[in-house]
Amino acid sequence: MRDVSMGQYYPAKSGVHKMDARAKIIFVIAYIVMLFFIPTVDGYLRGGGRLGGYIVSAAAAFGIIILFLITAIAFSRVPVLKVLKSIKAVLALVLITAVIMIVFYGGEANHVYWSYGIINITLEGIISGSTMAIRLFLLVMGPSLLTLTTTPVELTDGLERLLFPLSLIKIPVHEIAIIMSIALRLIPTLIEEADKIKNAQKARCADFDSGNVFKRAKAMIPVLVPLLVSSFRRADDLAYAMDSRCYRGAKGRTRMKVMKLGWRDLVGLVLICITFFGVLMFVYDYFGVAGIVTNWAYSVIA
Amino acid sequence: MSIVIKNLSYIYSPKTPFEKKALDDITFTIEDGDFFGIIGQTGSGKSTLISHFNGLIKVMSGSLTVNGIDLGKKYDYKQLRGKVGMVFQYPEYQLFDETVERDVGFGPKNLGLSQAEVKERTVEAIELVGLDFNAIKDRSPFELSGGQMRRVALAGVLAMRPQILVLDEPTAGLDPRGKKEILELIKRVKEHCPTIVMISHNMDEISAYCNRIAVLGKGKLRGVFTPSELFGNEKIIDEIGLRLPTPAYIARLLRERGVPVQGATEDELIKAVLALKGVRDA
Repeated sequence: MRDVSMGQYYPAKSGVHKMDARAKIIFVIAYIVMLFFIPTVDGYLRGGGRLGGYIVSAAAAFGIIILFLITAIAFSRVPVLKVLKSIKAVLALVLITAVIMIVFYGGEANHVYWSYGIINITLEGIISGSTMAIRLFLLVMGPSLLTLTTTPVELTDGLERLLFPLSLIKIPVHEIAIIMSIALRLIPTLIEEADKIKNAQKARCADFDSGNVFKRAKAMIPVLVPLLVSSFRRADDLAYAMDSRCYRGAKGRTRMKVMKLGWRDLVGLVLICITFFGVLMFVYDYFGVAGIVTNWAYSVIA
Repeated sequence: MSIVIKNLSYIYSPKTPFEKKALDDITFTIEDGDFFGIIGQTGSGKSTLISHFNGLIKVMSGSLTVNGIDLGKKYDYKQLRGKVGMVFQYPEYQLFDETVERDVGFGPKNLGLSQAEVKERTVEAIELVGLDFNAIKDRSPFELSGGQMRRVALAGVLAMRPQILVLDEPTAGLDPRGKKEILELIKRVKEHCPTIVMISHNMDEISAYCNRIAVLGKGKLRGVFTPSELFGNEKIIDEIGLRLPTPAYIARLLRERGVPVQGATEDELIKAVLALKGVRDA
């Protein structure tokens, strides 16, 4: 159970770790938006583009985003493997979706390899499936770099500050943030507690690893009941502790760590702007860049 | 029923920034019939060490033999865990079932015993921890007092009739009277379960009940001593940073004030003082 390290904070001393959580959250949002600016094959072809043009501009745009991600990972000093590990959670989902997209592609297609009923294997389908896979993988890796380099407390603090405007329309932003940070804070504690109880029951020869699904689910009862009891006890204790330290919500509350934007955030901003511009340049063909590169690519192939 | 530990090492989360060497080349033997104490500061590796004894933690390097079973190789978990009873800190937090009887019977039932056998052992264990079986069997474990809950949890382990009982701070969080009761209970249990291993931070308990004591510090073994060896030797005590048990502390204070008494345990101190009295009377 200790191995739920996916996207968990990875302590290191790096510029990315030191960046303002608010800036990082905004950058990640920009990063996600950027990924969706790249059109699908179908959309591009319907817009009157050539398949070759699509391949070049999509490859270039994805390339720029990957370059940005690699730069960010390098600056963060988080091992690349840690970031790649986040893919594991969605790997099966993405691969199955990609295969389905390739086999049942129903969009514009001029390069049909094989067709039978609703099954269409086309070059367009293959490209569409693989761009979707790349898009989703990148979609998972960006935010996981955020959680790897930002502690949960910083993250919720940053979110609270960013969502501040909502409190003007009576949404309890602070309360939501504190609930989130308590929940996040308690996850490792509960895992540890579950581990302890599990060990205690294992010492009484409880068997968690054999039998069918129902048997295994039933075997978890001796762990879940004590865990539930102890979470209620813990919640009570925490409420008393907060009360006795005069906690009374957001009103008049100051912060121990005041968030400050610094030069690192400026560097981040510049990088993400350059990346965004690069992506747009290829997607919308600014200065005819995509055309020039496409023609060059065709000439190389020919 | 001995536990033979040889060059045992253990590292948590190896090859990550969280890497932590919990045990470093530990070698000693717990003999049959020992009331064995393990002491050391928080984080010294005591809990990690005892979790090896019933296979909750797999041997990473070195070797460990419990009752002739080599834990480095494949073995029958159930058989081992039935023989090595493990009582963790705050064992009352493991209670889960609707009635005390069913909760105590959880262990024996997992061993695959017959209903009659489970019942017999449950009665035996509950009586052994000093509770009245008929009065308590149908109550919910969650409505008992703290001390009773701990006894029931202890009974849940004893019901498996272990040959080695391992206890991690069995008296933590109890009042002085509850502490005394639990310790006397453990002493009584020793008649049925010959080998007992106990972790404690309370030097009084350690010196009064244990016949041999292992001292751990930062994952390393600092030595295995008898109580009088350990608490009679101020050099070791100061070096390891331990507190003396009350009798040894009194002896030390007396010596500092010029009364020549030696003694690390209650019995030794009483003898020494009586001898002193004899000298003065003569």
